[in-house]
Amino acid sequence: MFLEELLAMPGGEALLKCMQCGTCSGSCPTGYQMDFSPRRLISMIKAGMKQEVLNSAAIWLCASCYTCSVRCPRGIEFTEIMYLLKSMAIKENILPAKHDSSVFYRTFNQIVTETGRMNESKLITNYAMKTDYTRLWKQFAPLGIKLIRRGRVALFPAKIKNRSELKTLMEKARQRGEC
Amino acid sequence: MTERIGVYVCHCGHNIAAVGDVEKVAQYAGTLDNVVIARDYKYMCSDPGQELIKNDIQQLGLTRVVVAACSPRMHEPTFKGALERANLNGYLLEMANIREQCSWVTDNTQNATEKAKSLVRGAVRRVYYHRPIEERVVSVNKATLVVGGGIAGIQAALQIAEAGHKVYLVEREASIGGQMAKFDKTFPTMDCAACILTPKMVAVSQSPNIELLTYAEVAQVDGYVGNFTVTVRQKPRYIVEDLCTGCGDCTTACVLKNRIPDAFDEGLSKRSAAYISFPQAIPLKAVIDEKECLLLTKGKCSKNCVEACSREAIDFSQKETVRRIEVGSIILATGFELFDARKAPQYGYGIYDDVYTGIEFERLTNASGPTQGKILTKRGEEPKSVAILHCIGSRDENYQKYCSRVCCMSSVKFAHLVKEKTDAEVFEFYIDMRTFGKQYEEFYTRVQEEGVNFIRGKGAEVAKVDGQLVVRAEDTLLGAYREIPVDMVVLNTALVPRHDAEKVAQIFGISRSEDGFFLESHIKLDPVTTSTDGVHIAGCCQSPKDIPDTVAQGSAAAAQSLAVIATGKVKISPISAWSDPAVCAGCRICLGLCPFKAIGFNEEKKVAEINQAVCKGCGSCAAGCPSNAIVVSHFSNQQLLAEIEGVLA
Repeated sequence: MFLEELLAMPGGEALLKCMQCGTCSGSCPTGYQMDFSPRRLISMIKAGMKQEVLNSAAIWLCASCYTCSVRCPRGIEFTEIMYLLKSMAIKENILPAKHDSSVFYRTFNQIVTETGRMNESKLITNYAMKTDYTRLWKQFAPLGIKLIRRGRVALFPAKIKNRSELKTLMEKARQRGEC
Repeated sequence: MTERIGVYVCHCGHNIAAVGDVEKVAQYAGTLDNVVIARDYKYMCSDPGQELIKNDIQQLGLTRVVVAACSPRMHEPTFKGALERANLNGYLLEMANIREQCSWVTDNTQNATEKAKSLVRGAVRRVYYHRPIEERVVSVNKATLVVGGGIAGIQAALQIAEAGHKVYLVEREASIGGQMAKFDKTFPTMDCAACILTPKMVAVSQSPNIELLTYAEVAQVDGYVGNFTVTVRQKPRYIVEDLCTGCGDCTTACVLKNRIPDAFDEGLSKRSAAYISFPQAIPLKAVIDEKECLLLTKGKCSKNCVEACSREAIDFSQKETVRRIEVGSIILATGFELFDARKAPQYGYGIYDDVYTGIEFERLTNASGPTQGKILTKRGEEPKSVAILHCIGSRDENYQKYCSRVCCMSSVKFAHLVKEKTDAEVFEFYIDMRTFGKQYEEFYTRVQEEGVNFIRGKGAEVAKVDGQLVVRAEDTLLGAYREIPVDMVVLNTALVPRHDAEKVAQIFGISRSEDGFFLESHIKLDPVTTSTDGVHIAGCCQSPKDIPDTVAQGSAAAAQSLAVIATGKVKISPISAWSDPAVCAGCRICLGLCPFKAIGFNEEKKVAEINQAVCKGCGSCAAGCPSNAIVVSHFSNQQLLAEIEGVLA
């Protein structure tokens, strides 16, 4: 069962406490664009509507601002639930049609695994190359150049020492289904 | 001499028997030393169960009894009674609790059975050393102390006074009336709060049986049920009460007039340093605020008040007075405080103008409040739309987990008042509408018919967009995100325990529940008594409740105190400590350990002496005594060690 699957995951166990007050949806900065509000997603999860939830655009719109988690009167960390839903969707190969944000998450993961650090220039370049490379100069470059000039973003990625140990670590985590 | 012990193992229906094998436990008990009979029975506490014990005592000549059943807090008095009916001293009983920490905490039959056997073994070994003890009976002081002069305390005090008994009513503020005195209207009938409260306040001041001590606090409580000695500290008013007529001339003359935030108006208006809390204050006497008065803080003032007072009632030489009061029982009715909305900054309280709490709104709509009862924004305009937000700080794991019970109804009341007094649109944001009392649902329906917009969704945040307040929430029934522009926001905040509830609980020797309110003996069946005999609780100090429930509890607590008075005598536990002067080394360690101040030091003999009337038999002194000089009856070393050896054998 969909609900049981989520309850068994870390962060998922609080779902049953939801009282449908809508504090999450009312607090969500991207909620107005979602096809289903966070509150409604919880209702759908409880109703076992797995396909509808995993196919929803909402799960890819969460900006991870954690406001819902901070404000939830029942202590549900819905941001974590959103991650669980995204990872379930990726495993089932249900990906958003436009601007595939699952690619973004995978690229992010790949860079961190390889270098031990996050580099925004590399993240955006790789992400654009894998989706729609024209966005690189149409959308990302103008802001990116400004950020690089001001020293907010590094052009070349930094790397940590002992990267092979990190790789082993990440591999172990992956085998246990934790990342 | 050997003892003849009977062991009685209770099934407690399924409570014990569904997990533990009670028959095996009884069989096993039969094999223990000195046990002459061991039985199991479905309900040992029932009449036939008690009869079984009584008959065995008489026919088999039992001298000791062990009952393996529930917690002694439940049924020890029941079984003591059974022993006494068979002419056996009640203290020759020992209970083994094989329910609460045994059958209720496991579903493993073997474990439960083995643990029950161990507990029974311990009880059998212990009971062998029990000695008969006689109950102590003391006479009762017929006066009652009521702490807190809100509606709960007023109700309790009036009821006891009407029955013809003396009541001391101690109130911390300068006037009685409590929170209810601040309210404008009361749901569901919309009676004016003052119209129904002030007659009771006047009755308090006129009752010959009530001695009112305002501006006073209880500092210390000594003694026990029937004979408490209470120390009360009374702050100086700097006004001679007998001379003051409450004319208010000093308040208008005060040089600090309209400069000090008025706490009664929740800081929405300003008062003088010399003031009368509100027009219907009881006693209607002025008071000088010693934290603000220029003469009392800086030592320099033109003393206009003294000049203005034709009765020469102002006396700056007054000092705090301390009184000792003797009473037989105590009623605590210390009330509640309101949740500080600043702790939830997403609602904009203290950040934006025109965001009010519920109690502030009460003052705004009250005819004696800062706007003479007009609902106005800070700019002095009538709002065109008002949002009322439920559950601010209630039903929220970040603040208070519990439901504050009154806010749904008071929110509906606020909506009605806005509709009555203005042309504003009203939006109420709620999670669940809880209108559970008599005529409450009818009131909700009435306000719905007045055209209030009830939005099912908790207000998520209050923001200011281009100078306009907006409330953001999900309308959960519509499934739509809504942003509603309003001119005024009312945050209906949670009822919370008083900030000094812990200290007060300590003074009166009572406990608090997890939520911080005072703990009752039993949540359903004993809601106004506490773990300390003779100390009763009423109203919102026990949990949030509305006025009807508060008044009911005030009466209930009065009935408890009247019961103490009516019997005239109370049984007090005979379990107490005794220090052997031949063994006591005079080290005085026990003096500091005793929580009840029952131990004195005999300077002549250089030994500790325990006052049996004050001692509650807690055993702290006995455990701490380095020379083993102190023995607690019914808890001797011999008895305790036998029990421990029995459990571990």
